Amino acid sequence: MRGQKSGQIRIIEAFLAIFIIFSALTISANLSAKNPSQRSNGLASMGMQVLLHLDSDGSLAAYIAAGNWSGLREALELLLPAGVSFNLTVYDDQMRQVNTELIFNGALNSQETTLVKYVCTSRGLLFRCYVVYLYLAVAK
Amino acid sequence: MPAISIDTFFACSLMVLLVLSAMTATVKILQPLLNAPADNEAQRLGEVARRIMLYAGKPADWGRCGLTAPEEFGLAMAEAETPYTIDPDKVSRLNSENVYCLSYAQIFTSLRTPDLSIRIEVKPLFNVKLNLTATSESVDETVYTFEATLERDDGVRVSANLKVYALAGSLFLQNSILPNVDGKASFNVTAPKSLESPILLVVFAKSTQNSRIASYAVYYLAGGEKPPPKGAFLRLSPINQTLTITSTCSGVFLEGVYAITFNHVGRLSQTGNNVFGIPLFLDASPMVLVATGWNATQRFIEWTAYPQIPLQTGVNFSNLLSTLNVYVYEHLVSINHCIYKCAIFLGGLKG
Repeated sequence: MRGQKSGQIRIIEAFLAIFIIFSALTISANLSAKNPSQRSNGLASMGMQVLLHLDSDGSLAAYIAAGNWSGLREALELLLPAGVSFNLTVYDDQMRQVNTELIFNGALNSQETTLVKYVCTSRGLLFRCYVVYLYLAVAK
Repeated sequence: MPAISIDTFFACSLMVLLVLSAMTATVKILQPLLNAPADNEAQRLGEVARRIMLYAGKPADWGRCGLTAPEEFGLAMAEAETPYTIDPDKVSRLNSENVYCLSYAQIFTSLRTPDLSIRIEVKPLFNVKLNLTATSESVDETVYTFEATLERDDGVRVSANLKVYALAGSLFLQNSILPNVDGKASFNVTAPKSLESPILLVVFAKSTQNSRIASYAVYYLAGGEKPPPKGAFLRLSPINQTLTITSTCSGVFLEGVYAITFNHVGRLSQTGNNVFGIPLFLDASPMVLVATGWNATQRFIEWTAYPQIPLQTGVNFSNLLSTLNVYVYEHLVSINHCIYKCAIFLGGLKG
């Protein structure tokens, strides 16, 4: 009787050991170090290109001056690749937020969020300076 | 539970934790070192792709002269005010439809990276698709109903203003605008039944939010017959604001040559033997060049775009993925004030 109990306990121990070993392997398989720098660099480069193109003919400052936030959002959606989430905030030269609406196309759920900072100026008679913060992430 | 079992259990757990910690530490330490060659390769190729976009090449104006092959490859416009501005002539000279097209060997040599293969794709940010949905006939007219769909590669619909041109011989049948089209629109083209010439339908689309984001589509209506392949009669090669027309069959007579953009239409004037001057329109729009004429058996319409986009040139990597590491770098580029998407594929041997 006593021998039988001892055997049962050994079996339970063996199962527990197997469970712990498999848990360890499963966890360690997911622990591979990810190197986000390449993707972040690509996103940052893409974000900078988008802002550069919008600013090259003055349309970025025109969207901001006119408060055309939906237009700016749609232009960003067209210019950025599919699957990239963005959130854009516009500040004035005193770093006060200018945009009265959120300019985004979805929550930035990804762990790898890239920030692109861009300074643009208006092209009208009245000189205005804007600081644009564009957060980018690969949508999950 | 006896004390010895508890001891064994704790001892096992401790060993497993030790093993786990050791594995984690090893992975953390070794992974960057294992990834380093791939990261360095990706970074190097990224710089190569960026150089192609930002460097004008040598000579800097190699796109303008059809007989000049670049010593060093670069697509940027010489003395451009903003980065990522691409020369329309250099892009046109990558298109195989152009008689002045660079061969892959010329591109490869001038790239000066003998360990790399390259593919370049340039296309608009969204596509215009035209479908002939219905045809109705009256006594003296035929009405063609078309549906235009505006969408990105991922299927997302795009809002845009449309401009529709229909050309037959030297006759412009239609020149109409469809404002604020939300992804899809239908329109009619009416043609007299007596018309002998095929009809070319040219549709331009400009995003309602940014007029520099533009696209176009062309539809060839051959009156119920199968349209002839592009270039069956003429080969149109635009570079340096001139259009060179080369006959590809005998007995061809030219009737008229036109340049069409979203806002402008112009008839090209002949400046030499089969050479026509292309007007410089201040219009952020693709340009479609159309040549009409006839040969002994039929009337025809040939067309090309200037710059000649969409474009795909270089190695097709789809069959080589097992032997090559292929990296893709997408850039937004400005060509003749319009914004396009340019993808550069670079492949190096795995090793």
